[in-house]
Amino acid sequence: MAEFNVNLRGVGPVSVIDVKGYLDAHTAPELENVFNKLLDDKQFKVVVNFNELKYISSAGLGVFMAYVETMRENSGDIKFSNMKENVYNIFDLLGFPILYEFFKEEKEAVNKFIS
Amino acid sequence: MKNKIKQLARSRGLENAILISILLFLYNLVFPMHDTLMLAVINELLVFLSIFFLYYYIIRFLNAKVDSPLTLILNAGILAALIFFIVSIANTILGSSNKNEQIGFFNSLFAVLLAFVFIGSVVYIFSTFRELFYLRQKRDPSAFFNSMLVFFALTFFSNLLIFFDPSFDYPKDAFYVVTIVLIFLNALRISWIAFLTKRQKYYLLLISIILSILFAINFMTFTENSIMTKVIYSFSPGLLSFLCLTMIYGTINFGVIFFTTLFHLPTAEAFDRKAAEVSSLMDLTKLITQVFDFKELAETVTSITSKVCNSDSSWLVLKKGKTLELSSVNNIGYVEADTITNNLLGTGQNDFDSIAIIQFDSFNNNSVNDKKFKSIAIAPLKVQKIINGYLFAARHREGNFDLDDKKAVQAFADYAAVALENAQLIGESIEKERLEKELDVARDIQRKILPHSIPTSEKLEISALFVPAFEVGGDYYDFFELDNDRIGFVIADVSGKGISAAFIMAEVKGIFESLSKLVVNPKELLAQVNSTLRNSLDKRNFVTAVYGIVNKKTGKLNFARAGHTPIMICSGSTIKNYRPAGIGLGLDTNINFASSIKELEIDLNNNDIILCYSDGIPEAKNDKEEDFGFERLESIVLKYRDEKLDFISEAVMKELSLFSKNHSQHDDITLVIFKWKNN
Repeated sequence: MAEFNVNLRGVGPVSVIDVKGYLDAHTAPELENVFNKLLDDKQFKVVVNFNELKYISSAGLGVFMAYVETMRENSGDIKFSNMKENVYNIFDLLGFPILYEFFKEEKEAVNKFIS
Repeated sequence: MKNKIKQLARSRGLENAILISILLFLYNLVFPMHDTLMLAVINELLVFLSIFFLYYYIIRFLNAKVDSPLTLILNAGILAALIFFIVSIANTILGSSNKNEQIGFFNSLFAVLLAFVFIGSVVYIFSTFRELFYLRQKRDPSAFFNSMLVFFALTFFSNLLIFFDPSFDYPKDAFYVVTIVLIFLNALRISWIAFLTKRQKYYLLLISIILSILFAINFMTFTENSIMTKVIYSFSPGLLSFLCLTMIYGTINFGVIFFTTLFHLPTAEAFDRKAAEVSSLMDLTKLITQVFDFKELAETVTSITSKVCNSDSSWLVLKKGKTLELSSVNNIGYVEADTITNNLLGTGQNDFDSIAIIQFDSFNNNSVNDKKFKSIAIAPLKVQKIINGYLFAARHREGNFDLDDKKAVQAFADYAAVALENAQLIGESIEKERLEKELDVARDIQRKILPHSIPTSEKLEISALFVPAFEVGGDYYDFFELDNDRIGFVIADVSGKGISAAFIMAEVKGIFESLSKLVVNPKELLAQVNSTLRNSLDKRNFVTAVYGIVNKKTGKLNFARAGHTPIMICSGSTIKNYRPAGIGLGLDTNINFASSIKELEIDLNNNDIILCYSDGIPEAKNDKEEDFGFERLESIVLKYRDEKLDFISEAVMKELSLFSKNHSQHDDITLVIFKWKNN
């Protein structure tokens, strides 16, 4: 069974989600729980750190699509950082770079929120 | 030798008994008086053998009845009463006529028949005693019983010693006494009494005292110097001693039974309760494996709990997430049970990890308990340290739940816990089956949606390959003959799997089919598909697609891409991947979909190969979780570019299955290949 781990931490006013392992239809609900918690806490500025993510399926992508609108309506956003090339290629093929902001480093993404 | 006799006696008990009896009967008619040693010995032997064979026959017959000792006793009692009546009546009728005793033919016939009745009855009674003796014995007690049998036999034959010397009767008395002592010892083995129910014990108490007295009276009449005694004695002295001893056995045995039962009476109720508990647990075990419906089992558990634990009410609650739900109640209203449960458990302070008893004194009888229960037992339903619910038993009366009650309540709670677990497992497996059915439906939909024929032609050769994944991805491809010259094609992949993906796929097909006839510009078409599809797509679903048109007249390929894998074109020995900009259908949250799409136009050369495929190919995985990737696909196409199209797709499939041979196919695989022939 592919493993997946998700961790939530705060960097100033920004919430950073670290995702690790395989994000697919079976593990996506774990990530959804984290997003639900953020909505409960009214935290709308989110950076997802993909540093340790090995694989993402369409169900995994769906999680971001499901929450991004709410975040943006509340003057927040979901930004992506530290993505490995193979994972980025999946996002790229689908045209995500037109819709979302991608950063090399988590810091840049966080700073984008603060500035 | 011994075994042979046993075998003979057992195998043909009835025949032997009848044969010997007839011999005995004839012998006695011929020799009514046994006044010489020879005649007496033969007679005694015949009597003994009839008793012996009859005994073996009857014990086999009785073996089938050992489950109901009371019936056995009653039968023995009836025969004892029969003996009593025969003896009394015979003594009264013949009592006066014994002085002018004559050995007439009818007299001796009567005496012999009477003797047979006695033999039959006494052997039956004796066999009954044997059965009672062996009943519920854990260790083999046959040594005791068999030594008693030996002394019975010795006593029987010692009567003959008088023929040698009339004063030589002390061996007989000695054997007699030893036999009685052995009878005493054997009569103490009556552990079966403990297993009777309370009602049976009362019944046995009454019967045993009556029978003990009856046997005592019989014994006394046989020792009196009456006419019957004389008749039997003259028939066979051994039979008389056997009769007397059996009567003594009966007196002693039933006397002991009487007193033992008397002492067992105070514990009878406790014993009954234990037995009821055991049998209800056994019933529950059966139920667990049979009942699919947990509700039914819960009702059985509560009613048994009330009955066995002497509680006035009982109820069962189940944990559903964080809330508690009443599953069944016995002799209490739902509302009351709910109130008490919530008052005891609702605070969450105590999760009652093991069985607990809660006492209420009259001062403390607040709203927790408006039914005025004096004590309530709470047992958790626990499987592998996880509590799934609670079983409650409540009493109105004074007196705490004792250790036995606690154990019983906990035992029932444990059973309910296991049954609950079982019911859930069954539910899960049904769910799994349902999902598999659902997948079948999804596969069926997919199969019907994909085109049945391919519009291949001289100028444009087409080959399509589709391999569904177990879970059913959402791959879809189709061809549209727009007019004589133009062929439109689409290849799409719906995100998600299973039946929901299949439904979206069906919708996508419908939209493409109708729009392809109206809109002839690929970019425009994708934009319209997007706006139509958006209304029915869930936020987290999207569809990737490539739509293209080949003009057979001009040799031009126009296409646009919406998030889908690139189109690969092999022209001569060069391969190019075309990836015009374009986001997936249903992804446009904040930008204009149409503005993100770029359309490409390519002039095809003779023998150009165009490959459209779903991400099931590049994303196929091997053991090391590596992707199949684009390069492998490219090299296959290059290698076989001069072969037939079907050969190429087969080569791709072969390579793919080699690559991911130890990996299940994760996603649908679709591969559509075109070859342009300019002639």
